[in-house]
Amino acid sequence: MPDIAASRDEVIGIPSKPFRVGLGQAATSKLSIDSLVAQHYTFVWRILRGLGLSRADAEDATQQVFMIAARKLDDIDPDRARSFVYGAALRVANNARRGLRRRREVLSDETSDEPEPDFRGPEKLAELVQARQLLAQVLDEMPEKHRRLIILAELEQLEVPEIAALEGIPVGTAASRLRVAREKFRAVLGTRRDQNPFGDEP
Amino acid sequence: MNPDPVDQLGARLFEAARSEAIPRGAEQRALEAARREIGQKSSRKALSSSRRNWLAAAACVALAAGAALLLRPKDASLGISAEPPTIAHSRPTPPIAPRVEMPSETAATVRSNPVAPQSAPSAGPMAARLAPASLSDEVSALKVASTALSGGDPQAALAALDRYDRVLKGQKLRAEATLIRIEALSRAGQSEAASALAQRFVAQNPGNPLVDRARSFVHE
Repeated sequence: MPDIAASRDEVIGIPSKPFRVGLGQAATSKLSIDSLVAQHYTFVWRILRGLGLSRADAEDATQQVFMIAARKLDDIDPDRARSFVYGAALRVANNARRGLRRRREVLSDETSDEPEPDFRGPEKLAELVQARQLLAQVLDEMPEKHRRLIILAELEQLEVPEIAALEGIPVGTAASRLRVAREKFRAVLGTRRDQNPFGDEP
Repeated sequence: MNPDPVDQLGARLFEAARSEAIPRGAEQRALEAARREIGQKSSRKALSSSRRNWLAAAACVALAAGAALLLRPKDASLGISAEPPTIAHSRPTPPIAPRVEMPSETAATVRSNPVAPQSAPSAGPMAARLAPASLSDEVSALKVASTALSGGDPQAALAALDRYDRVLKGQKLRAEATLIRIEALSRAGQSEAASALAQRFVAQNPGNPLVDRARSFVHE
């Protein structure tokens, strides 16, 4: 007899007993979905945040990225898994931004229910929120290709060869494009120095 | 030499961005969604394979029946030719039907109703005894369908909607579910079915705010 309760749990997204169908396949794949999510969730989520999605939209979009990855799991080269999720994240972000749900961040959304890792009181939290808002505004003013490179270099702190691999461009191109991106970022941020959320601090 | 203040400010902005915590439980939710996706993919594969096998089995039976009629001796056909070739109506037997590897639940569904394999493996009396689904349950279920749809997989969305109907027996968000189904059908290339469903929706829900959206799928 079918397990009605388990079926119902699956429908509403509650983890039921091991997937009767899914786990077998994942276990025999070269790459497991569990390790893919564990290794790249934060990377994808931060990329999507850097591309301008709100916290809620970034969560939805990250979920979509891993759903796409799950469908293609057998075809993903484990050595290029990060490239795969990066490419998927860019496509999902483009769709999301074209969609209706793009919203500007507001303080209440940013603070949500998440404790900050280095929470040192409401003033510090407000400072962090303002800093993220300012960063989002600056990035919004940058051309897409430069924005991506800045995110990879400064937010993810990747080296130029890694950036080149993710972007699918030669290392020299990545280096020169990153130089231009940094100049643009600096120029835009320079016009917004009066919004420095850190006050007198450097 | 002191670092440039703009560069320093930029570094602190990125530091603030890196310190942002991901929403609580988000990673687990993504993992569960991805696991479901793998499960649905396997189910679709098994169903598709079983359909092919049943069709092959049915074709074999039909051919065997036709051959038996053609090769029957003349005197026999004169005597009892009015008897219908009952073999053509018999179920394909295991020796003819190739073995199909599939999860037991799916296999049971296909065995019990090979013509409509999507029909409710779990919509039996037990399902009827379950408490009605809460609004939160229905929202979660429709979110799965909507995520699949926006992820470019209308078939997965339709499968999720089938489960919403079958397992949850959703009522509170039925209009929303119908609208997602219309869109999924349309994106799956079944525009006629989408149009027909949209027409029914518009006719049955004249005051619903979703009517305008549904109307956009109706073919004139």
